[in-house]
Amino acid sequence: MRRRRFIQALAAAQAAPALLAQRPPTQQPAQPAPPPAAPEAPESAPLDFSIPDEGADPVSKFFSARQFATLKRLCDLLIPAAPGSPGALEARVPEFMDFLIGDAPVQRQQLWLSGLDGLEYQSQIRFRKAFADTDAGQADTLLAPLHQPWSFEPPNDPVARVLAAAKQDVRTATYNSFERNMAASGGKRPRGGGGLYWLAVE
Amino acid sequence: MAATNYDVLIIGSGASGGMAAYTLTKKGIRCLMLDAGPAIDFQKNHVTKPAWELPYRGLGNPSRLPHVIQATEYDANQWVDEKQVPYTHDPSSPFNWVRVRYVGGKSLFWSRMSFRLSDYEFKAKDHDGFGDNWPISLTDLAPYYDQVEPIFRVRGRKEGLKQLPDGNFIEDTTSWSPAVQKFIGEASKRNIPITKVRSSLGRGQLASSLNLLLPDALATGNLTIIPDAVVRDITVDKNTGRVTGANFLDRHSGREMHAKAKVVVLGASCLESTRILLNSGIANSSGVLGHYLHDQFYVTQCVQAVIPEVRDKTAPAGYASGGGYIPRFRNLQTKEKDFLRGYAFDFTAGSTPDAKFFPLYGKPLDDALEAHRGTGFSGTCMGSVLPTFENHVRINKDLADAWGIPVLHIQARYGSNEFNMAKDAINTMAELCRACGWEVLARHDQPLPPGYSIHEVGTCRMGDNPKTSVLNKWNQSWDIKNLFVVDGSSFVTAGSQNPTMTILSLSMRASEYLAEQMRKNEL
Repeated sequence: MRRRRFIQALAAAQAAPALLAQRPPTQQPAQPAPPPAAPEAPESAPLDFSIPDEGADPVSKFFSARQFATLKRLCDLLIPAAPGSPGALEARVPEFMDFLIGDAPVQRQQLWLSGLDGLEYQSQIRFRKAFADTDAGQADTLLAPLHQPWSFEPPNDPVARVLAAAKQDVRTATYNSFERNMAASGGKRPRGGGGLYWLAVE
Repeated sequence: MAATNYDVLIIGSGASGGMAAYTLTKKGIRCLMLDAGPAIDFQKNHVTKPAWELPYRGLGNPSRLPHVIQATEYDANQWVDEKQVPYTHDPSSPFNWVRVRYVGGKSLFWSRMSFRLSDYEFKAKDHDGFGDNWPISLTDLAPYYDQVEPIFRVRGRKEGLKQLPDGNFIEDTTSWSPAVQKFIGEASKRNIPITKVRSSLGRGQLASSLNLLLPDALATGNLTIIPDAVVRDITVDKNTGRVTGANFLDRHSGREMHAKAKVVVLGASCLESTRILLNSGIANSSGVLGHYLHDQFYVTQCVQAVIPEVRDKTAPAGYASGGGYIPRFRNLQTKEKDFLRGYAFDFTAGSTPDAKFFPLYGKPLDDALEAHRGTGFSGTCMGSVLPTFENHVRINKDLADAWGIPVLHIQARYGSNEFNMAKDAINTMAELCRACGWEVLARHDQPLPPGYSIHEVGTCRMGDNPKTSVLNKWNQSWDIKNLFVVDGSSFVTAGSQNPTMTILSLSMRASEYLAEQMRKNEL
């Protein structure tokens, strides 16, 4: 690579704001102004694209119907809706988790499957009803591992382990959802903000 | 057109390779640099994106980077694809090999923590009897630290600590917040020093080889950089035993090429340089090439405390903010019973503790997080790892990367010295927090897997004895006079300090020696 190109590539973006700042606010013509140019065709406005969640519904296909019902109840308990603030269900987090775990390595999939099955099993044993049908008090009994102090080593019990993972992931998936951000923008499509995303280089 | 026969072939363009180019080209030496990754425009390769636009809502593709646990969905593209360049390890001994393949290497993304090693590291064996000394001392390297620090614009505060030597700093004049002052007060009662984090300010958005070293090297007209050049092996003249260049493959097409040079300088990062040497079958008459792999163990968020004055809103705004650095304080004048050497911490005050630390869910959790906003104090422990022969890398001939180059098998685990040290570190940090009247919300003493720190070093170590080291004190192969290795693989011990300033200084020192030997025609 020639140095000139290398320096140009490095300097261009950094220099641009400075060059703009140096530009005088108005141009003082040294010569009589040229005749006005023929009007150009207006530039097209920047195109506004969307994301799948804004215009379509997710298709769930990883968890069974019963596991999905358990997951939905769990999501609702972890991040309930509040006035003006969609909860995990409104943010379609169960559907998102179905996609995420369906895309995960087998070990993580197995953990979630056995964790959700275990939660359902405990609900049937303790209350003779599906976890999806438990009331808040019954559910809180089953979510007892979430009242244990945090430890670095994840619990051995798959239910406790999935509950700890869900507590983190459901929270992130809800807070980073389109729905939650749209609500925070007063019902308008959210714009701006976010972090620096590193593009793939090819 | 016949290819130029360069004076020096530099493999790698990060901190070590970049510094070699910077130093050699200024002395009129014509260099060819190969890097396995593409050239990038740091500005153009970033965009601002809200998390809701990310396909995985910020949680990241769950299958993509199993070993890069610090990766986020935002930066996933900056790390080496583990499927393209795999490596192996025993399932019971995970090693997180975190790599970057771009022109500029890891210096594009490093944490910028900028410290010198001390003679507690260079002469560690003299101090505690374990392992080996470096063949150099701080006195030998100090003149190079002195030159490197202004290039990277290291900001720090001079403290006169023997275990954390002062440097050629931009003086850090920032003040401590009241909460941190309280912490410093408790630490000083226990003879635990605290200073400001020493950090490279760089220029613009970067403190990298890409903007601080390579432009000057290119300006001399003596440097040619070829990106996307994946080096397979170093070639040797069978008659003389000297290296003659390297075979490489174009990253896109796989086309094989050979680059010729009078001298080869390896700066491809610790384990990639070692892999190239092992795949070349050279520089290993000692039998220690690939051995003595070590790094620094990290215990992240080892203690999470809550500063109650902030939660109760009895403290004024700004009471808890900022951070600091605790350099090693163990095994200096006294001797610990359970471990050799020592550890450092960095800490921050004024953050909000993570949701995972509260044994709650639903609305009570939201309420607790709101009540604890800005109340957090947390520390990360960075501990010295003993270099041992058993921790090593070797070639796994059963597996090749996307270019058909055999991969590394990595065998490394921490031992009782590291685990005992971690326990002591976390007990000490928790005690300091409690002495401040802070509530310890959570603590743990489990190091993350080896490699996590991205400070792996030691696999081509230097020494005074060709039977027990790969390189001499000038980073020059004992076996092959015109072969140099200038990255972190040359370390003998790593201490608890981040290694980049030392890598840069070693590379500058080795390159000056190389240039002088070339001038005298003694290579």
